[in-house]
Amino acid sequence: MPELDSIASLEARREEVAFTLARYRTVVTMCGGTACQACGCQPVARAMTREVMAQGLEETVYVRTTGCHGFCEQGPLVIIDPGGIVYVHVTPEDVPEIVAQTIRKGKVIERLSYTDPVSDKTVQAEDEIPFYTRQKRLLLGENRHIAPRDIDDYIARGGYSALAKALDSMTPEAVVEEIERSGLQGRGGGGYPTGKKWRQCRNASGDARYVICNADEGDPGDYMDRSLLEGNPHSIIEGMIIGAFAVGARHGYIYVRKEYPLAVVNAGVAIRQAQALRLLGEDILGTGFDFDIQVVRGGGAFVCGESTALMASLEGKVGEPRPKDIHTVERGYLGQPTVLNNVETWANVPSIIRHGADWFASQGTERSKGTKIFALTGQVKNTGLIEVEMGTTLREIIYDIGGGPKNGREIKAVQTGGPSGGCLPTSQFDLPVDFDALYEAGSMMGSGGMVVMDDSSCMVDVAKYFLAFLQDESCGKCTPCRLGVGRLLEIVTDISEGRGSLDQLDLLEDLSWTISVASLCALGKTAPNPVLSTLKYFRDEYLDHIENKRCAAGVCRALIRLVIDSTLCDRCGKCIANCPHKAITGSRDTSYAIDDELCTRCRICADACEQHAILVR
Amino acid sequence: MPEPITIFVDDIAIETTEGANVLDAALRAGICIPNLCYLPEVTPTGACRVCIVEVERHGRTKMTAACTLEAREGMIVRAHSEPVLRARRNIVELLLAEAPESPVLQALAERLSVTDVRYSRRDRDCILCGRCVAACAEVAKQGSLGMIGRGANRHKGLPFYKEEYCTQCNECHDRCPLELSPSGRRGDHCGVCGSELSMNDAIPDICEDCVLS
Ligand SMILES: Cc1cc2nc3c(=O)[nH]c(=O)nc-3n(C[C@H](O)[C@H](O)[C@H](O)COP(=O)(O)O)c2cc1C
Ligand code: SF4
Ligand code: FES
Repeated sequence: MPELDSIASLEARREEVAFTLARYRTVVTMCGGTACQACGCQPVARAMTREVMAQGLEETVYVRTTGCHGFCEQGPLVIIDPGGIVYVHVTPEDVPEIVAQTIRKGKVIERLSYTDPVSDKTVQAEDEIPFYTRQKRLLLGENRHIAPRDIDDYIARGGYSALAKALDSMTPEAVVEEIERSGLQGRGGGGYPTGKKWRQCRNASGDARYVICNADEGDPGDYMDRSLLEGNPHSIIEGMIIGAFAVGARHGYIYVRKEYPLAVVNAGVAIRQAQALRLLGEDILGTGFDFDIQVVRGGGAFVCGESTALMASLEGKVGEPRPKDIHTVERGYLGQPTVLNNVETWANVPSIIRHGADWFASQGTERSKGTKIFALTGQVKNTGLIEVEMGTTLREIIYDIGGGPKNGREIKAVQTGGPSGGCLPTSQFDLPVDFDALYEAGSMMGSGGMVVMDDSSCMVDVAKYFLAFLQDESCGKCTPCRLGVGRLLEIVTDISEGRGSLDQLDLLEDLSWTISVASLCALGKTAPNPVLSTLKYFRDEYLDHIENKRCAAGVCRALIRLVIDSTLCDRCGKCIANCPHKAITGSRDTSYAIDDELCTRCRICADACEQHAILVR
Repeated sequence: MPEPITIFVDDIAIETTEGANVLDAALRAGICIPNLCYLPEVTPTGACRVCIVEVERHGRTKMTAACTLEAREGMIVRAHSEPVLRARRNIVELLLAEAPESPVLQALAERLSVTDVRYSRRDRDCILCGRCVAACAEVAKQGSLGMIGRGANRHKGLPFYKEEYCTQCNECHDRCPLELSPSGRRGDHCGVCGSELSMNDAIPDICEDCVLS
């Protein structure tokens, strides 16, 4: 590839690429994110390429495999443009028909269209799917147009024009000001103003400066950073180059957890392509600015997402946090001023520079600007990655985008902010997605996890689950977090097993307060949130467990019994065959019964019973 | 040369230098801030959180460990406010429950009037303060002892758990709070914290520098 040695040469290449793409009459887009790969998109993609060749269409049909579109539950997805005709759950066997009918003749194959679970109507075009129409997909939307390993796709979408603008017509100071004015806040959890962070780093004294992208993403269930880095790595690279120019850094790192192999590879490929075009390295775009990026793989410890632990890990030390009385913008990687931003934060930078701070600030709420990506999971009809404008209410997300409760149950809470976020009850569902509003309600934006729970979830059990996660992932260095979180877990376990007492609730609150004020790093400081928020909004469930030894949701094993309703039981024997503990007795002639001593409440029998005769008491 | 500066700990002005360790400066000035993992001869880690204090910054108050806090001109530190004492007591209570028989932890608890332990007692031989690890690295210059594992699995150990990496210099044992006993005569009451520990001869009515600090 010829190097881009000037800004004009970048623009020339953009025109060339657009010209090449315009040759194609039809574009077939297939998603190839990790989730879709798991549901078999690769054979579909191979079949598509083969079939297009077999039918002699390769001159007019362009087949592109992109990163994640967010609608993972429906994958593998195939979209045919123009028209945006979308097919869901496609198998390799469907491919010849798609090529023959839809690509050749423009006919829609109803069988493969999406059926909206709320209205039960089939939807043919991508942009009519309710899951998408309520979103504002500034970042995620790009994934659909870009083959992650093809820098020309990114350039065709206007990529690297923000970098060209910054290098050509802005001073580093002007870039920092632009980001400050945009109101962009960190998407990695803390919501710290990005422009302010950049300015502090720029003003700090040091021998060198560094920029780092935090792609450690350790929250269970989250995958927005992975999808961005896998699907559109150049947007993050471009953001980082602009950031480096603004603060005066020459080296940057992308710290990716090693459980994200596709992200590691795609980021590496993207960096090499950018280097080959001289968008990275020495004398970027012929402007004299030098900057390079390296990908570093993290070992997958949750705490290594914390800024000081991440930097220790980068330096080759044990990934343990250090006290942050002096911030990493002053003393970070190798003791030098360092800007650490989250993947999604970096991905927002190019469009702010391209379209201006005012454009960005015009979206969102008074205090939180732009959009935010969430991993919507749990008991809703539609799950996946969603991106909404700040200020969208939780209710809109859960009911309009998520499609509301599944299986006719009733939604009772949403957990936002990852393991150390909080659980909010339905009475709080009119809260907007906004850093301050969520924090004030006792939860937080966090990095964007959103787990919807219905009445089959027990909030004491939920608190227990997150505490167990945090206890395992605590680095164990400081007392309040190591011992304190362990004791919280011990107490909540007591309560869930019927050994709780009322004064333990006061102890939970007292200890939680101590952990939150005295822990060394933010993992400990936020670890009591799952307890505090469930105690605040679902205290009655704790009381029910303590006073009545009852778990209304039927989750806490020690407090429930499984019984067989003999009026429903038809003595088919499935439960007996399935029970791993041989706890069920009965025969054709004698009624069935469960032995309480042997039963572990695993509920395998209840799932096996077609008569729904096994009841939880 | 670091700049001479003044900081205020519990409203008492202390002359020290820019960037100095606030715990050390306070102890030198005779202000008793209870502490545990701190060793003057090694880099502080801020692990035990016993020396927790409130510091006022940009009009906001936050809690942090005094031993890892660097002094700045005019810094306002509160080492014995109500919230600080509450947090410190709760931390010592957590530690005491791990090793209730330890004389050092008992003394610390006494000094802070921690009488009631609200958790089930365990009998651990290590409270993971990290003094031994720091001594091995920075005093003995061996760097053999280290912390292994995360969360509840954290424990100290030699590389690959092999004794051959230890030179038996005992710098670690000499600093282990579970192997030490608090020094001195008992009977007098400290003027600051009211505990019954031995008194400092140089500064009347204040605890003697016990083996912990
Ligand atoms: C325990 C812990 C885990 C964290 N994990 C992540 C993570 O996986 N990704 C991330 O971007 N930030 C994570 N953070 C937040 C980072 O410390 C840091 O605030 C963030 O990367 C800064 O970037 P931002 O300002 O762009 O959000 C974590 C923080 C803590 C305390
Ligand atoms: S708060 Fe937890 S994770 Fe953070 S330093 Fe302390 S023990 Fe480690
Ligand atoms: S944290 Fe300061 S003495 Fe342990």
